Order: sequence, then structure tokens, then C-alpha cells
Amino acid sequence: MSRTLLLIVVILIILPAFISDFWLNQILTRSIILGIAALSLTFLTTYLGVVSFAQITLAGVAGYTIAYFSPNTTGLGIELPWLFAVALALLFSTLAGAFVGAIAKKSVGIYSIMITLAISMAFFYFTRQNYSIFNGWTGFSGITAPVAFGVSLEDSLVFYYATLLSATAAGYLVVKFTSSPLGLAVQGVKDAARRVRAIGIPTTPVIIAAYAFSGFIAGMSGVLNVWQQERISSFSVGLGPTIDLLIIAVIGGMRHPLGAFIGAITYVLIDTFVIDLFSRDRFNMIIGLVLLFIVMAAPQGILGSFLSAQKRIRKYDNNAIKRKIKNDCEI
Amino acid sequence: MPLTDGSASNQRVALNLKGVTRRFGSFVAVDNLNMTIKTGERRAILGSNGAGKTTLFNLITGDFPLSEGSIEIEGVESSTLPTHKRIQAGLRRTYQHALLFDSLSVRDTLLLAVVGIHNKWPLFYPLKKNSKYHEKAEALAKVAGLSSKMDVLVGALSHGQKRQLEIGIALSGDPKIVLFDEPAAGLSPAERPVLTELLLSLPKKLSVILIEHDMDIALETSNIVSVMHNGKHLLEGEPEEVVHSDIVREIYVGKRQ
Amino acid sequence: MKLFFIVFLNGLTLASLYFITACGFTLIFGLMRTVNMAHGVLLLLGAYIGYEVVEMTGFWVLGIIAGGLSCALVGAFLQAFILGRYQGDELRQTLITIAISIILADFLLWAWGGLTYQISLPEMLQGGIRLPLLNVGYSVVRLTLIGMAIVVGVLLWLLIAKTKLGIIIRAGVDDREMLQALGFEIKKIFIIVFAMGAALAGMAGVIFGSALSISPGTDIQFLLSSLVVVIVGGMGSVGGAALGALLIGLAEQYGLAYAPTYGVVFTFLIMVTVLAFRPQGILGRAEQ
Repeated sequence: MSRTLLLIVVILIILPAFISDFWLNQILTRSIILGIAALSLTFLTTYLGVVSFAQITLAGVAGYTIAYFSPNTTGLGIELPWLFAVALALLFSTLAGAFVGAIAKKSVGIYSIMITLAISMAFFYFTRQNYSIFNGWTGFSGITAPVAFGVSLEDSLVFYYATLLSATAAGYLVVKFTSSPLGLAVQGVKDAARRVRAIGIPTTPVIIAAYAFSGFIAGMSGVLNVWQQERISSFSVGLGPTIDLLIIAVIGGMRHPLGAFIGAITYVLIDTFVIDLFSRDRFNMIIGLVLLFIVMAAPQGILGSFLSAQKRIRKYDNNAIKRKIKNDCEI
Repeated sequence: MPLTDGSASNQRVALNLKGVTRRFGSFVAVDNLNMTIKTGERRAILGSNGAGKTTLFNLITGDFPLSEGSIEIEGVESSTLPTHKRIQAGLRRTYQHALLFDSLSVRDTLLLAVVGIHNKWPLFYPLKKNSKYHEKAEALAKVAGLSSKMDVLVGALSHGQKRQLEIGIALSGDPKIVLFDEPAAGLSPAERPVLTELLLSLPKKLSVILIEHDMDIALETSNIVSVMHNGKHLLEGEPEEVVHSDIVREIYVGKRQ
Repeated sequence: MKLFFIVFLNGLTLASLYFITACGFTLIFGLMRTVNMAHGVLLLLGAYIGYEVVEMTGFWVLGIIAGGLSCALVGAFLQAFILGRYQGDELRQTLITIAISIILADFLLWAWGGLTYQISLPEMLQGGIRLPLLNVGYSVVRLTLIGMAIVVGVLLWLLIAKTKLGIIIRAGVDDREMLQALGFEIKKIFIIVFAMGAALAGMAGVIFGSALSISPGTDIQFLLSSLVVVIVGGMGSVGGAALGALLIGLAEQYGLAYAPTYGVVFTFLIMVTVLAFRPQGILGRAEQ
């Protein structure tokens, strides 16, 4: 799989040379940003065993932080050097993740869905009501991506590479985290929380750490999203984007970090092209039917189905080989 | 019947249970139980199903909170401590129905057990290969007889191997008291002598409480036997003496026929 | 002081609506462990159907019945042909209900547009009456609403405490396998209960559309309120739904009246406090 991953990254590095600006901005960059957010969700689902509806909220916390501390046309906020703003954004989204974890720490499965959904909607309504920090339902606009280390992130090619780098970093962090003792403990909590305590590890900090980590990853996506969209408002943290993220995770499958990105690009392609075959007004109906179909027919998502098909083929091969050896021996 | 004091009285006390009681609604699962485990003691607890043996273990480890009473581990009042604190104080246990991390490998499980009791949290970054933790995990695997299974997922282990892993986890770090909850359940006749040998080879200073329905293993590996019935600690004494007492015949041996 | 009491009455009105809606939600959850995320959209469907029927016939009560019945049919269909196939796989069921709510909400938008509808009330419920003691006018329909919530609560209590179906539901909440082992046609019971829960949503929709108004977005508002109400009150308990609805309804109205920019914070704080001290909800039973 790691060779496949390397190949994908190489393709993604050279791809901009062959595609139009529209594809670069609206398809690739957007997919990768959504993919990072979806990764923060699939991480929690795969390793902690909870479905969190609060990931868009966490991304939103980072996004609002960037907006507040960057030049914008709203007249609200304080301008900070971009590196500080990014550091603060990631810090706040991580802390917000820890906070969500502290609230939802005893909930798994459907309970975690209900509680995280309630949290995310509370945040949504709060951003609409509050004008002193969130500027109500209009939010912030006119935010520009900074000039970083001498290059402007407003340039779409530079921004694409920055996004790709962030996604690679996010994937790397997830892989490293899940093989660290803390990451192992997170998986332990999913399998048998009682046993985790019975080997001397308190479960509450482990759960909170997992949510905080997912908040960090979601925050990366939130920062990039604000730079790309140049605005953020309560609609960015509403139920729509929250459900979309879930759809992306379900489409891609939750078994492997890569699934998040496969789900994201599939979703963006449907959003951009398939919709035109029907009617743009009926986007929700199409995406709802896609979700329904995948949940009913291929619950492991596209990548999951692909992987298990591969496994089946390999198993079949192994059985064939075993049979052959057996036959040879009998002769 | 008075409780007999089975061994020399000036030995150190590893675990002291005083008036331990647990109620589930109106049902009393463990009833005003007193028990003193001396350092190095090997105690088997006998009793029919539903006698409250596993509940007692759950109370000692803190899986369930006490309704009344006190639990002292190594002289420290521990009945209000969370489970992980008691484990860090030197308590270990195995579960009757293997309670393990099915999606982790044997190596990762043992690493977690080794790291967990070291109280070195949080560790965000993967452990270096060949770290002292890896060595300790390998050593545990050897004791548990799982050296060749290190990279197998726990979910793919056989029933017997899962029980071995339970024991491996229970011996991680520097255990002082280990609670074995029916370690022989579901083992084949060939696997049982291996288990007996393992129990007999445990360090001398280790205190052990063993719940076991296999009388041969229980009697061979213990030097003190307690009998529980309906949540009460009925009697304790030398293995021979207890097994031939009338009460045990009535509630336990009779059932075996 | 006058404001305080008016807000109290407003809170009670809102709580009544939340209660009727959340009852259906918690009934379905209690027996089947299905988080019906399509509950809000069923409410909206019931409201639209009720609107059409009232416009056509002029009978308000007919509208309520039609709204409830149509939702019961849709709910029964969902449980019988889609959700029932995945009984036991709660996460999958939840995802399916999310998909259904997206599809159905889009269908409603297509059929009824983004307009705001108000269902006309019968004459006797229109206008207001002057309340004794407080000497303020208060709309009759809102007072009726509080009465309706009490009637629904009492009827549900009678159903659960006194009828055979109620005994089965209570037994099923404790132990679903047992029901099956005793030879009850669990599939049929699930369909009936799902239809009942959906019918409550539909009726609540018509009532809400009469007392206030309905438009796309109402579905989300009520799905969320149902979620919060059952999280606070205790999942699967009708009494919990009543208590939760009361707390949330009052908190929302007092928040709106006294701290308009932070109103939602009160609701949130109630939820977080309850989760911190009683994760199963105030009247909920702990999951084993």
C-alpha cells in the first residue's frame, strides 16, 4: 500500500502541468481540503469507534480563528502575522476537539452521533447569534491567503502544493499517531475500554486526546478552507457541510486514511459534473440517493469494497495454490 | 465456623479486604466479605457459579464500585481509587472471558501493557524499535508462550492463545498481586499442565488469587483455599483440610459428580 | 414580572411542541434503538399534508388526522421495507435515516417550494383571551397546545402502562431477544411502533404549522430539539421526554427574552451539565 501511496503522491505532484485552472482549484484543491476534514472523521470512526458530527465545527473553529486574526473586509478582529494566526487556529481547534471529547467521552455508536450533532448545532446557532466574535450569520469575508516564505498562497498552483503538503502531513500524522502508545490505547478503548483501565491506563485522557488530535487535523482543513473560499460564515458550520462530510466519509469508506480522500474527490465530482446531467436544484436528492445506495449496498465505501474484493481474489488465489500443492503431494 | 489463620502472622499483607459488600438492587452479590492476602500467598477461591467470585475480582480492581467496605492494596486504602491507579500500584488481573484488543497485534497489546503500568503518559510518538519496552514485551510473550505470534492480530488468536495473552498482560511490569479468573476455562487437557507449570513458576514474592473450577489445578497451585457461597466468605484453610470439610462437599464437591 | 410569566407561558408552549415531537422520537429509540434522523422531515411532511387537507376541507381536526396518518404510512413503509432489514445494526440504520431525510427534505422542497405556510385555525381557537390574575392577552391556540401535550402524554402513558402493546413495548425496551424468544411477531410490533412515532411527528407538524408557521428548516429545528430533549431527559423514556422538553423549552424562551445573543448557550449548558453528571439522561437508564 505504501508504494501505491507514493505513486499517488507523485501523480498528484505532476498533475497540475496537465490540467486547467478550473480542475486545479475547483476539483483537486477542494477535494484535498475536504479530504483532510473527512480524515479527521474517519480517524475517530476507525480507531476510537465513534461517529462524530462535530468535525465541521472543529474545522470551523480554526477557520473563524484565521478569519479573526487575518486582514478581512468585515472590520472585526485583530491582525496577526500569519504564522501566529495559523498556530492559534490549530491550537483552538485542538482544544475544541478536547472539549468535545470531554463532553462525549462516555458515548459510543449512535449516542456519539446524537451528542456531537447537538454540540455542532449549538455552535452553528451560536455563530448566528453572536456578533462580537463571529459577526452573526454574515460572518467574515475578504480574507486573503498570506504570503508565506516569499511566495503568495493566493497563487493557485502554490496553494495547491501547500494543500497537498498539508494532506500528506495529516496522513503521516495519523499513521504515526495510531502506532504510538497513545494511539494504540485509543484503539484499545474501542475494543475493550475496561481492559485499557485494567492495564493501568485511564481511558478519559485517551478519549480526549483522540478527539483533540482529530481537532488538530480538522483545524488544518479549516485553515485551508478559509484561505481558498476567502470567507467563512455560519453556513460553513451548519448542518449541510456536517452531513456532506459524513457522506464523504461513507463514500470513501472508513477502513483506511486514503478513503477520506477518495470519498472527497468522488463527492466533488458528483457535485461538479453529475449534477448537470440532472438538475442543479436536485443535488441533495442525488447525493442522498448515493448515500442510501452506499450504506445499503457497500457499507465499507468505495475503498473498503475495493480492498475486500482484492482480499477475496487473493484468498481465492491462495486456495488455488493450496489445492495445487495438495494435488502434487498426493501424486 | 471461625476463620483459621493459615500462615505465619508476621508476614506482610498484600491485600486486605474488610467488610466488602456489593449490592445490585436488592441482590447482594458479595456480602460483608473479609479476607487478608499475605505477600507471596497463593490462594484459590472455590465456590459454585453465582457465588460472587468474579464480582469480588471486579470489586478489587475497581471495575465495579463497592457498596460498602474497604480494600487495602499494599497497605494503601484503595476502595475509591480508579482502576488504573490500582493497577499502577501493582494489582493485575485476567478476565474470565478474554477481554482483549481484537484489532491490535499481540506485540502492540503487550507493549501497551508494558507502557501502561509505567505511567509514562502521554506518549505521542511511536516507540523506537528495540526500546526497553519492546524487550519487556518480548519477555512477556516468552513467558506466555506467544513469541511466535507477536505480529498476529489478537482477534485471530485461538481461544487458548487468548488466555495465554491474558496471563502475559497480567504479568507485565512489576506485579504484586495477580487475580486469575478461571484461567483454565476452555483449555484442552493437554494445555492444562502447561498452565499449572506457569502458575507454579511465578516469582515467590507474588501474591496470587485464583478462581478455578478445575480442582486439580486449584489445589496443586495454592497453599490456602477460600470457599465462597452466596456472596459470603464461608471458610478458609489448608487445601486438604478445606476440600474434605462438610460444607465444601455439600455445596461444591457434590456438584462435581 | 409580567414578562417573566409571559415568557413562562411561551416556554410551556414550546415545551409542549417539543414534547409531542420528542415522544415519537424516544418511543422509536426506546424499543428499536434506532436514532430516527428522519423524524424532523416527517414532521415537515405531516405539516404540509395537514395544510393541504385543511385548505381543501376546512376542517382543522381532519388536517391533524391526515398529517398523522400520512406520516404513519411513510414510517411503516420505512421500517417494513428498509430499516427493518438492518435491525441490530444501529449505526447503519442511523445513516439510512440520514439519507432518507436528505432525499425526503429535497422532495418536499421540490413539491411545496421554499415558502412559509400557515395552517388556518378553526374559529374557536383564533384570537386570544385575557388571562385572569396576570391581566394579559394570550392566544388561545397556544393554550390549547399545552392542553394537547398533556392529552398526548396521558394517552401515551395509558397505552404503555395499561395495554397489551404497552406491556410488549416495555418488555422490549428491557430485552428485545426475550420478546422474540417468547414468540411475539417482533417485526410487526416494530412497524406499529415506528408508525406511531412517525404519526406523533406528523401531528406535531400540523399543530406547529397552525400555532406558528412552517417552512424548510423547520425539520432541522425539530430534529435537533428532539435530540437535545431526549439526551437531557433520558433516551427511550416518555417521562424523560416531558422533563427534557420542559427544561429545554423554558431555557430557550428565557434565553431569548433575557439574553438574545446567547440564548442557545443555555440549552447547550443544560445538555453538557446533564451529560457530565448523568450520561444516560435525567430519567434514562444506564446502558449495560
